Amino acid sequence: MFRLTRLFAVGIAGTLLAVACGGGGTNTTTSFKGTKNVGLSTPITGQSAAYGKAIQAAALLWQDDINAKGGVNGYKIEVKITDDGTDVAKAADNTRRMILEDHAVAMIGAVLSSQCQAAMPIAHQNHIVYVAATCNDYRNTTSPDYRIPEYVSVVPNTYMEATAAGIDAGKNTSLKKWYILSPDYSFGRAETPAFVAALKKTNPSVQILNSPSEWYVPLTTFNFQNVIPKIQAAQPDAIYSNIFAATQTAFINGALQAQPDFFTKYHFVTLSSIDDFNALPDKYPTGIRVYERAPFFAIQGNSIKDYVKRFRDKNNFYPSDWAVMDYDALSIWAAAANKAGSFDTDKVLKNLAGQSFDTLRGKVTIRKEDLQGVVPVWVGTTTRDPQYPFVILKDIVNPPGSELVLPLNRVKQMQDGQCPKNDLANCP
Amino acid sequence: MDVGNLVLFFLAGLSIAAVLFIVTAGLSLVFGALRVINMAHGSLYMIGAFVSWFVIVHLANALFGFWAALLVAPLITAIIGAVVEIFVLKPVYGKEHLLQLLGTYALTLIFAGLVRKVFGADVRSISAPAALNSSVPIFGHGFSVYQLFLIAVAVLVAAGLYLLLNRTGLGRNIRAAISDPQLLSTTGVNVTRLFTIVFMIGTALAGLGGVLVSPTSSVDPGMDSNVLINAFAISVIGGLGSLVGSLVGAVIVGLILSFGFAYPPTAHYAIAFVFAAMVIVLTIRPWGLFGRAEQ
Repeated sequence: MFRLTRLFAVGIAGTLLAVACGGGGTNTTTSFKGTKNVGLSTPITGQSAAYGKAIQAAALLWQDDINAKGGVNGYKIEVKITDDGTDVAKAADNTRRMILEDHAVAMIGAVLSSQCQAAMPIAHQNHIVYVAATCNDYRNTTSPDYRIPEYVSVVPNTYMEATAAGIDAGKNTSLKKWYILSPDYSFGRAETPAFVAALKKTNPSVQILNSPSEWYVPLTTFNFQNVIPKIQAAQPDAIYSNIFAATQTAFINGALQAQPDFFTKYHFVTLSSIDDFNALPDKYPTGIRVYERAPFFAIQGNSIKDYVKRFRDKNNFYPSDWAVMDYDALSIWAAAANKAGSFDTDKVLKNLAGQSFDTLRGKVTIRKEDLQGVVPVWVGTTTRDPQYPFVILKDIVNPPGSELVLPLNRVKQMQDGQCPKNDLANCP
Repeated sequence: MDVGNLVLFFLAGLSIAAVLFIVTAGLSLVFGALRVINMAHGSLYMIGAFVSWFVIVHLANALFGFWAALLVAPLITAIIGAVVEIFVLKPVYGKEHLLQLLGTYALTLIFAGLVRKVFGADVRSISAPAALNSSVPIFGHGFSVYQLFLIAVAVLVAAGLYLLLNRTGLGRNIRAAISDPQLLSTTGVNVTRLFTIVFMIGTALAGLGGVLVSPTSSVDPGMDSNVLINAFAISVIGGLGSLVGSLVGAVIVGLILSFGFAYPPTAHYAIAFVFAAMVIVLTIRPWGLFGRAEQ
């Protein structure tokens, strides 16, 4: 009896000890040293509001995942998310407040390149790592006017994605006459010339029908009543566009209304994302050529499959390109901080530069010279698949980042200020 | 530029003018009768657009949604207009214009906040009804049937307003109120009620404009200020208080925007030409092309 009682007592003590040490099976409780904040200013409202919902969901899923694994350097991580209304000044203000008031140890970049460019000096003044997951003006990592040592990009930059799209478009040699449509701000002005350069390099016989001064429309153009007749009058073989979010939705609506066969009459090449597909689930044109930064359905590997399942289980919708890249941005930062054993910006940056990381998109290397992630781009033709409530891509080409990334000699020329107006086209 | 392109840009300009005319007619009617510059007119246009989105997406089915919105949205903006006229404008009639301006400007901020609260701040889009969601060939180009529909609606609204003002007792009273409201009140006409009715018509036109523009554009919380700028430009060009002026001003602005954008050298300055036209009219004829000089 005594032996049984002692055995029972030892059993209870052992169980208590196991639970206290976190060894009690699946219901573990991790004791953290404290909490550290990571800042994320993203558009929950405004022109790019369609993107913010998935970005927010991805950040919260990552937060659960990382804390379930013990956090970063023993600290619980909380992602502070604030709405920037797709507004440049608000994004800068959010960044300032999250760094100064929430003591964010790292910032995840905003959506618009102009927002990132406004927030970057604040990150630099406070020496905080700024990881861009969506904004992607190539000048952010190369131009002396914008570049900061704390800026890391895990998204294909404007040069990379425009090159991928331009090469793909140029291979269709039957398309001679092109019309260009782009948003009038830093992203559009960085991406569009890169597309035209790649297109002309691949197919020197192409003719751009509208002059560069006519390429750009204001970012918040929602009425294309005077743009569409101009395209029709120009009678192009093809249209290239990198307008996005609500502006793209308005354009597609306007074009379909003006001419229901608009997207079959004119070959259409555009930047897009799952959020853009979702904005027009039944109306998004099929048969158009689209380039994307991280379409989950085209990415290979078990990591992305598992992520999509867990993301859908939690949110009841599919993860967008941004949801994939923001998750990657947070994961890459956390891996570097864990490796550094510190949140110190210099130490984290040292463990980012030139290092490779396992991400949802596969192995990603952060190039040492410009802290640009060597990441791929997906180009494909829109089609319907009963498995998904939105269009997906077929006939996909997936050039690796190593084929797209800006050559190092160009990076150096840009960084050294040898390219007037910070424009690649002006480099010697 | 060949004839086909000319016709294309001309029709595109008229379709832009159509919505602008409907909105500006409301603004002008209110100013003509009440001598009130309603800064919140753009807000009611925005509310009309959001209400139409709500009706189409949440209440009516796809077949009747747009047509239901065409009735519901102007009705709602007219009711809001009545509330505004009774509770905000009546107390400041006859007082200096600055009070009216500040009062209606305050309303723009309140309405902007309310729209964000009720409908959210997302940019929405709606489709034209199936019957109008097609195009007709015009000189080798497809042109939207819906945009032709907009032009037709504007013609109907212009005709309706003409008949209302010139063939009905209400119209006679409105015209009398425009000439001399004090004299009208001595004839036994309930001017107080007349003013409320006129304001309701004006805000209903703003709401109607909001419904009509939605399928050609997006429904977004910033659309109030954009339309107000164009409506004021049209009013200045055509003459504030004149319906004919609103019509002519809207056509001028619509064609300037369409043709201005069509030509490469002027494409970047299309909107600037609208304001240049406004400055020219203000310099030569400060009361507008069809307005009357204030005594």
